Amino acid sequence: MVELSWTETTPLSRIYRAGSHGAKTQAAGLSLAELSGFELVQTMARRGQWSATDQACREAYGKPAPARPQAVKAEGALLIWSGPDQFLVLSPRAGGSAGMDRARLAFAGMASLSEQSDARSLIRVSGSRARDMLAKVCSLDLHSAVFPEWSAAATSIDHTAVNLWRGEDDAGGAVFHLLIFATFAESLWHTLLDSGAEYGIAIDAPAAWQQ
Amino acid sequence: MRIACPFCGPRENGEFTYLGDAKPKRPALEAGEEAYYEYVYLRDNVAGEMDEFWYHGAGCRSWIKVRRNTVTHEISSVEPAAGAGAAKVAS
Repeated sequence: MVELSWTETTPLSRIYRAGSHGAKTQAAGLSLAELSGFELVQTMARRGQWSATDQACREAYGKPAPARPQAVKAEGALLIWSGPDQFLVLSPRAGGSAGMDRARLAFAGMASLSEQSDARSLIRVSGSRARDMLAKVCSLDLHSAVFPEWSAAATSIDHTAVNLWRGEDDAGGAVFHLLIFATFAESLWHTLLDSGAEYGIAIDAPAAWQQ
Repeated sequence: MRIACPFCGPRENGEFTYLGDAKPKRPALEAGEEAYYEYVYLRDNVAGEMDEFWYHGAGCRSWIKVRRNTVTHEISSVEPAAGAGAAKVAS
């Protein structure tokens, strides 16, 4: 009998090279990082069950379910709007399926759930030129006046469906997160590297997603 | 052309797919061949305002109903199509 062993990997690990990329600028204008170590649950309220889902969300996660395009910091999870009556529950992977189990208990009978933890790649885009780089590939206006912290959007980048949200600003300014289908991640990653090369990119070591 | 998705806000038209006239209503089962012929095949060729179904496939994946002037492309109203998510997004 053959011993079977699993090697934990990420959607980008095959091509991911931490370090600098593109123009040799004094300070990189852009930082990119692949984040892993999360659980992700797509939550879709069933017809006529939005109020019940919202109520259940308040009880289980301490915050109302996002009813418009925004990301909501809740207890132990980030709730990301993904369309009318639906949102993503992003939580740190704590081993096993704690995140999915929690959602299953919370929304039993009122919302349909789909486990997406290994189906998406999560990329963090930050740095002073983050918005300039995204402007090349994304048609949304990401200026702070219309896309402040914790705004979210379902859109497309390079013909690839993307859930995009803006987290808490860091010292370099706005911090964006892109959630993309795992099998499209390599392609989109190359597009991001090409788009940002002129600003100088610091590719951070892969890290665990933290709320 | 930009379309203001009632759920997402204004988006470029590349995110949407066009279905067509929102006016035809499926006739009753016993309505007869003539009624079905008209429902399936006959369309007005409107020069001016018409209601159309669009699909926000590269965004929130909702069907929406758009009132568009086919001459000027001016859009006078956008609303969720029947059955698309919540009736309205909370403001």
